[in-house]
Amino acid sequence: MTTLVERPMGRQQDPDGGEAHVTVTREPVAGRRKSGRSLAESLGRHTVLTVLALFTAFPVLLIVSTALKTPADVRVNPFGLFSSFSFENLATAWTVGRFGEYAWNSVLLSVPTTILVVLLSTAAGYAFARLQFWGRGVLFSLIMLGLLVPFFTYMIPLYFELKTIGLLDTLLGVILVMTTGGLAFGTFFMRSFFLNLPSELEQAARVDGCSEFGIFWRVMLPLVRPGMLALAVFMFLYTWNEFLIPLLYLPGGELRPLTTGLYMFTAGRAIDIGPMAAGTLITILPVLLVFLVLQRQVTQGFLAGAVKG
Amino acid sequence: MTSAISLGPAVTRRAQARLGLLLVLPTLALTVVFFLIPLVTAFFYSFVDYDGISENPTFVGFGNFVEMFNDPEVWHALGNNLVWIFFGTIGPVAIGFGIAVLLSGVKRGSVVYRLVFFFPYVLPGVAIAVVWGWIYSPRSGWLNQTLEAVGLGALRHGWLGEPGIALYAVLVTAIWAVTGFCVVVFLSALGNVDPELVDAARIDGANAMQRSWYVVLPQIMPVFLMVVTLTLISGFGVFDIIYVMTAGGPANSTNVLGIYAYQNAFTLNRIGYATTIALLITALSIPFAIALNRLQRRLSLEGA
Repeated sequence: MTTLVERPMGRQQDPDGGEAHVTVTREPVAGRRKSGRSLAESLGRHTVLTVLALFTAFPVLLIVSTALKTPADVRVNPFGLFSSFSFENLATAWTVGRFGEYAWNSVLLSVPTTILVVLLSTAAGYAFARLQFWGRGVLFSLIMLGLLVPFFTYMIPLYFELKTIGLLDTLLGVILVMTTGGLAFGTFFMRSFFLNLPSELEQAARVDGCSEFGIFWRVMLPLVRPGMLALAVFMFLYTWNEFLIPLLYLPGGELRPLTTGLYMFTAGRAIDIGPMAAGTLITILPVLLVFLVLQRQVTQGFLAGAVKG
Repeated sequence: MTSAISLGPAVTRRAQARLGLLLVLPTLALTVVFFLIPLVTAFFYSFVDYDGISENPTFVGFGNFVEMFNDPEVWHALGNNLVWIFFGTIGPVAIGFGIAVLLSGVKRGSVVYRLVFFFPYVLPGVAIAVVWGWIYSPRSGWLNQTLEAVGLGALRHGWLGEPGIALYAVLVTAIWAVTGFCVVVFLSALGNVDPELVDAARIDGANAMQRSWYVVLPQIMPVFLMVVTLTLISGFGVFDIIYVMTAGGPANSTNVLGIYAYQNAFTLNRIGYATTIALLITALSIPFAIALNRLQRRLSLEGA
């Protein structure tokens, strides 16, 4: 409790309780010496953390700076910061490197998958959390099996199944496969949100004559919007980043998204570094934006989504 | 289920049953078609020889399993998986814990640090692999150029081209990508550590290292175990970073079971054998998945 008072305003998400607490327990005699040491300690911490952060950020900075240099500058000065600025590499990647097409394919795969997963797992999550129906336990276990079994196990039979039903090398096929891949986690995730809602709400609505569907749609659904948003953000990043599924099930190459497109662009050839960095930047740009704007939802989704591995 | 004062319990029960099945139906249908059916088929495939193109599958009994256990490349790939899991778990967990401990004492700028550390984790594996492939590139790569520039030219290597080094070079990339996740998980766990105990240890003269090891670590043990299990499981599932950086080469030195299964299925057209290898991956990772499930249930109970 004392730590709460001592803590400098706001910033509740910062788990810095430990340090703030030191001020409370500090012995008056040792006070001055300790505060001197803690300044040095804090400086030390920041130095180490900054070095590590720079090391972590370096590859990303390398992509951005190289992609935005002039091609001539890339050749002369591949690793320096930019002395020039141009969109030429991006333009080359977008048209010659076909990254424009790839980006569009990525959108066509990620957006419908995200919407489908959010809608279907919200519905299923609600049913498993709050409705009594026949076979509930068994059906839930069947769907949760998806969290346990690695994709490798069934990727090859799935290839031939898609071929048989005519969905191989189609966007629809990949959308349905990725949607199914997300449903186990999505259902689990949304269910936990619905489980946390008080049952008084439901009972009050029922007394007021609300139908079962009305309770779901008008009472409960608005309350889990934060969960739906976190799931949407997580699913978007997961589908945008997915590599193996499009590699397997879009063998034709016409419908390639950015991930497999980037791979094909760089694999087995002498690479022109400028357009390669530009292609990489195009691939990660939406990830970067989503991450910066919705960082809290991203963290929440990924921490929970880590179940899926 | 009490409730349903206005309608009566029987009506409510029927309405709930109908709505429940309706809401679950699409998820169930997709799960059956795109997960359960191929999963069951996988067991069938592991007992046949099938080239995937023309010929009908030939039943070979346990032939694929016998071949798998006698295939040196399977053992080699499994060995690489284990090396990968060992360093790929120890690395991010240790570094991540260290960073989280450092970061938990920081007030100013902690959000920025956290963003920077976590970001690699959300990047597509291909992008990571491409950039690091460029950093490692033998002639024009950043690493070799830098070594040259600081007078350590003797340490230059063809990082991804030398069989003894390639796996570890790729591992460094993977550790770079995953560490931020450990940082964020540990940081939130550290927020729940009782500061009184840490202070008591400080007063008793425990240094930072001892406080972390004897006081903090035991308190976050469940989270610690969860992170370890999670990285273990993803270690068996590794694919895209290795596939893009080295495709299992040079001379199979970075081959892992996932890539070997993929190669058998889609370059060698050995569908039955590839599926059998995939089943081996499952057999190895399922116990950890179950352990993880238990741990997470325990954690969510504790959190409540």
